[in-house]
Amino acid sequence: MILIDICTGGVRAGTSVLYASLGELIAERAGVINLGTEGSMLSGALGAFAVTAWTGNPWLGILAGGAGGALTALVHAFLVITRNANQLASGLTVMFFAMGVTAFLGRGFVSKQIHGFEPYPIPLLSDIPVLGPILFNHDVMTYFSFILVPLLWLLLFKSRWGIIVRATGEREEVVYAYGFSPKMIRYLAVIAGGCLAGIGGAQLSIAYTHTWVENMTAGKGIIAVALVIFASWRPSRAMLGAYLFGGAQALQIIVQQNGYPVSPFLLLMTPYVLTLIALYVVERRQRSQIPEGLSKVFTGSG
Amino acid sequence: MVKTLNVQTAKPAVQALYGRAIKPNMYLILTILGPLFVFAVFLLLAGANPLELYSTMIRSTFGDLYGFGEVVIKATPFILTALAAGLPAKAGMINVGGEGQLVIGALFATWVGVLYLNDVPGIIGLPLIFIAGALGGALWAGIAAVLKVKGRMNETITTLLLNYVAYFTVGYFVHGLLKDPESFNWPFSPELAEPLRLPTFSSVSRVHIGIFIAIALAVLVWFVIAKTRVGFRIRVVGGNILAAQRAGLNTGRTQFWVLVAAGSLAGIAGVIEITGIEGRLRATTGVNYGYLGFLASWMAWNHPLWLVGTAFVIGMISVAGNSLEISSGLPASSVQILMALVLFAILAVGRRKQA
Amino acid sequence: MVEAGKIHAILGENGAGKSTLMKMLYGVYTPDGGTILMEGQSVTMSPPSQARAHGISMVFQDFRLVPALTVLDNIALAAEGKGLFLKGKLLRKKIAEVSQRYQIEVNPDAFIWQLDMGQRQRVEILKVLVISSTRIVIFDEPTSVLTPHEVESFLRMADMLRTDGYGVLLITHKINEVMACADRVTVLRAGQITFSASREEGFDEETLVSTMMGSKILPVSNKESMDPSINKSTALQTHNITIANDHGQVILRNINLSLHKGEIVGVAGISGNGQRELAEVLFGLRVPLEGTISFNNKDVTGSPPRVFIEAGMAYVSEDPIKESVIPEFSILEHMVLAGLPMTPKGLGVDWKSIDSALINIEEVRTLGLAASDRRADTLSGGNVQRMVLSRAMLRNPSILVVSYPSRGLDIGTVRSIQNMLVALAAKGSAILLISEDLSELFDLSDRIVVLANQQLLGPYFPEETDPFSIGHTMLKGETA
Repeated sequence: MILIDICTGGVRAGTSVLYASLGELIAERAGVINLGTEGSMLSGALGAFAVTAWTGNPWLGILAGGAGGALTALVHAFLVITRNANQLASGLTVMFFAMGVTAFLGRGFVSKQIHGFEPYPIPLLSDIPVLGPILFNHDVMTYFSFILVPLLWLLLFKSRWGIIVRATGEREEVVYAYGFSPKMIRYLAVIAGGCLAGIGGAQLSIAYTHTWVENMTAGKGIIAVALVIFASWRPSRAMLGAYLFGGAQALQIIVQQNGYPVSPFLLLMTPYVLTLIALYVVERRQRSQIPEGLSKVFTGSG
Repeated sequence: MVKTLNVQTAKPAVQALYGRAIKPNMYLILTILGPLFVFAVFLLLAGANPLELYSTMIRSTFGDLYGFGEVVIKATPFILTALAAGLPAKAGMINVGGEGQLVIGALFATWVGVLYLNDVPGIIGLPLIFIAGALGGALWAGIAAVLKVKGRMNETITTLLLNYVAYFTVGYFVHGLLKDPESFNWPFSPELAEPLRLPTFSSVSRVHIGIFIAIALAVLVWFVIAKTRVGFRIRVVGGNILAAQRAGLNTGRTQFWVLVAAGSLAGIAGVIEITGIEGRLRATTGVNYGYLGFLASWMAWNHPLWLVGTAFVIGMISVAGNSLEISSGLPASSVQILMALVLFAILAVGRRKQA
Repeated sequence: MVEAGKIHAILGENGAGKSTLMKMLYGVYTPDGGTILMEGQSVTMSPPSQARAHGISMVFQDFRLVPALTVLDNIALAAEGKGLFLKGKLLRKKIAEVSQRYQIEVNPDAFIWQLDMGQRQRVEILKVLVISSTRIVIFDEPTSVLTPHEVESFLRMADMLRTDGYGVLLITHKINEVMACADRVTVLRAGQITFSASREEGFDEETLVSTMMGSKILPVSNKESMDPSINKSTALQTHNITIANDHGQVILRNINLSLHKGEIVGVAGISGNGQRELAEVLFGLRVPLEGTISFNNKDVTGSPPRVFIEAGMAYVSEDPIKESVIPEFSILEHMVLAGLPMTPKGLGVDWKSIDSALINIEEVRTLGLAASDRRADTLSGGNVQRMVLSRAMLRNPSILVVSYPSRGLDIGTVRSIQNMLVALAAKGSAILLISEDLSELFDLSDRIVVLANQQLLGPYFPEETDPFSIGHTMLKGETA
C-alpha cells in the first residue's frame, strides 16, 4: 500500500518540521518572527548528535538539542528585542551563523555512527490496519510531538501564560499596563521557540536519519516559518502543514525507491512549491488573523 | 540642497552604545575588530592559531596579484547580488532571493548560449546572453513580485522558498536537458563557446571585465535611487508606504518593478559567473552567492556604493576561507561565522534611520 | 475625596485637567507635589500595579482591551490569579454573577473586535468588577461612546455600584449626568478646582455651567461673506455609500453627502464613528462596499488616489505622523509629494527651483513652516501639522478634505489656518472639515453633518442650531 507508505513517511519526515513550526508559532504569537529557526534546528541537530555520540544516551541528546536551539534563538532575541534590529535580517544572520558554526564544529561527526531512537511500534495500537503503521510505528520523539500539539494548544489558549503571550503579540501596551514586561515575555517566547526548533533538529539527526550532515536541515526551518503563516497561528493546522510537507518528501523517496521515471528534482521541489501554493491560498483569506505586532514586521515598520 | 544623511544619523547610535567620548570612526573600528576578536577566540578553541590564520588570510588575498585577482573575481557577483538585496530595501522590501535569481539567470544564460549562440560572434552573442540571464533573474523575482502585489505574500518568505525551487530547477536541467553529452554522467552543462566568454586582462590572473559591469551597475543603481524622479518615488514607497499611497503613488507597481529589476541584477551575476569563470552551468554554480550578497548589502546599510566595499570584504573573506581550508583544514563554511559575527555587530549597533 | 458607597463626579471641559488628575490616582503619572491619602494614610499609587493593590481600578476612555482576544481572555489577563492554567469555569461563573448583578450582558466567548463601543465598555467594567479587591472605580468619560439607552443603563449600574459599597469616581463633561447620579461634584477648570459641593450642600445646573465654563462666551459664527459670483455647483457627491472599517465591519451605511464649491461642510462626531474611513473613501484610499462617488459629476468610484489628486483634491489625514511623514525625508522632499510640482531636471529633480518656489508661497510663510531642509523625523507634532497643511493649501485644491487641522497647534496658528480655510472656500474650493472641536466647526462651517450610529445626520446650519444640540446629536445619534 503505497498510500500508507506515503502517510507513514509523511509523519516521519514531517515531525522535525512540526517541532520547529510549533516553536516558531509561540514566538510569532508573541510578535517575533524568527527566520533563525533554521539555525536553531541545525544547532539542535548537531548538539543532539554530538551528545548522543559521546554519551550513547539519546535522551541527553534531546536535552542538548533543545539547549542548542534555545541558545541560537537567544542571539536573535537579543538583537531584535534589546537592540531593536530588523527581525528578518537578524533571523537570516542567525541562520548563517548557525550554518557556519555547525559546519565547523560538526566536522568530526560527519561519518560517525550513533545509536539514537529507533522506531518503537506501540503494542496493539500499531496492529490497527492503516492507522497503526501511519501513527503508531514511530520513534519516541514522534509520539511526543503528538502530545505536544494539544499541549501547546492548551498552553496558548487556556492558560494565563498563553493569554499573556498572545496579548503581547497583539497589543504590548495592554500587557505593559497590567504590570508584565513585554520584552521579557518575548525573550521567553523566542527562547522557548528556539528550544522546540532545536528538539526538531534533534529528531532529524538522532531519530530520523541517525546521521549528521553539514546543513542537513535544507530549509526545513524556513518551511516551518512559512507553515506557521499557513497554519494561521494554530497548532493543529501547523501539524497538518508539517505532515503535508513531510508527505511530499516521503513521496519523493518512495518514487525514487520504486524507480518510477520521474525526475527526482521535480519531486524534491514539490514540498517547497506546495508550501508556496498553500501559503498563497491561505493568505488570500486570512490576513486579518495575523497578530498585530507581526504585521508591523511584515509591512516594514517593525 | 537635499543632503545625504549618512554621517549625522550614524552618530547617535554610536554614542548610545559606546558613550560620547568615542568618535564615529572609532565605532567603525570596533564593529570590525569586535567580530575579529570573537572569531579569534573561536579559532583558539578550535585549536587553530588565529594570528597565523589572519596573516595567511591577508597574504593569500593581498600577497600577490593572483590572490587579489581572486578577491576581485569573488566580489563581482557579490556586488550584484548585494544590489539585488539593496535596491528592494530602498523600497521597503527584503529580497533574500538573490540566490535563486542568480542561478535561474545562469540557467537562462547557459541555455541560450549553449543551444543558440554557439556560432555567433561574441559582440552579438555576449549582449544576448546577458539579456537572457537578466530576463531569467527578473522572471524568478517576478514570481515573488506577483505573489507580493497580488497575493499579499511577504517577499522574504517567498523568495527564500523560491531559492530551494531554483536549486532543484537547475539540478533538473544539468542532470537532464542541459547535460553535457560528453560529461561521462557528471552533472554539468556543455561548455560555452569561446567567443561567449568574458575577456580577461592578463595571463597572471583570471580577472575579467565583469567587475566593471558590476561597478557600473552599482553606480547606475545609486544614480537612479539618489538622483532621479523614479528613485525618489522608490524611496517614498520604502520610507512610508502609507504616505506614498496618500501621495497618489501606485505602490504595488513600484514594488513589482523594483523586485523585477533586482532579480535581473542577480541574474546578471549569474551570467557573469558562467561567462567569466565557470564556462558551464553546474548544480553548485553560485551557491550561497545570493546570501553573501544579502549580507554585504546589510553591512553597507543597503547603500548602493558602500556595498561595493562590503562585497569586497566578503570576497576577501571567501578567498581567505579557501586558503583556510587548504592550510589548516578548517571547512570553508567557517568563514560564514566571521561574516555573521560582523553582521551581528552591525545589527546590534542599531538601525540607522536609513540612508 | 471618595467615600465608599458614594459617587463623586469630576466635571470639566476638555483639557481642564480631569484625566491628568485621574491618571495620578491610578498611578500612570506621579504628582509633582502633594500627597494622596487613603483611609488617612499617605499612599503612593505609581506604578499602576500599586494603585491596583490599593483597590483602585480604572475604566479608561481608550479601553485597555486586546481586540484579537475573546472577552474571557481579556478579563483573565486582568484578573489576579495564581497557577498556570485558567480557572475558566470559575472565571465564567464570576463573570456570570457580576453580569447578572449589574445587568451587563456580554458573551464571554465573543472577540473584542466584534463588539461595538458600548459593549467594549461593558467588558471593561466587567473586568474591573471581577477583580475582587476593587474598592474604588474610576470612570473616564464613560458615556461618550454610549447610545442614550446605554447611558441610562450605565447610570443605573453606577447606582448599584454605590449601593454595593464601591467608591465611584465619574469623570465627565456632561452636566445632566452629574445631576442624575452624583453624591458630590468637583468642578475643574484649567487645572484648578473652581467648585465642590455635596448633594446635601446643594448644587444646581447653573452653578455648574458657570464654574465649568468661566466667563467664556459661546463662539459666534462670523463668516466672511462669499463672493456671489461663484457658481455653487456640486463638487463632490456620494450616493448611498456603505463603508467598512479595517476589520471588514460596516461603520457607515448608505451615506449621501454632497459638497458644493465655495462651501465648508463640517463633520462632527465622537471619534471612531467613521470619520477616518469616510475621508479615506473620499480620497480613493478605501473602496466603499456599496454606492458611488462622483467628482464634478464624474463617477470615480474605485479609482486610486492619483485620480483624485490629479482632479485637484487634497487630503490631510488625522494621523499625519503615521500616514504622511517619511522620517528620513526633508520638508522640501515632502512638499513635492502631491504638493508642489516636481520640476524635472534631466532625469532628476530640480530641488533648487522647487525650494525657491516654496519660500514665495504665502501659505507657507503664514504658517511658519520650519526650514525646508529639516528632516521630518526631527519635527514636532505641530511642525508636522504645519507641513502637511501648507502642502495641502499651496496647491489651491478644488476640494480639500481636512481632518483635525488644529490638533497640536497654538491658538495663533489655529487662527491663521482657520482664516486660510475660509479664504480658500471664498475662492471657490469645496472643503470637508472633520473636527472634534465644536467651536471650530461652528466658526467655519456653512453646514454641519454628524456621524453617529453608522449614519450621517444633518445637515444642520450653524445659525439655526447650537453646540449643545449638535453635541446631543453626536451622542444620541438622532435629531432631538
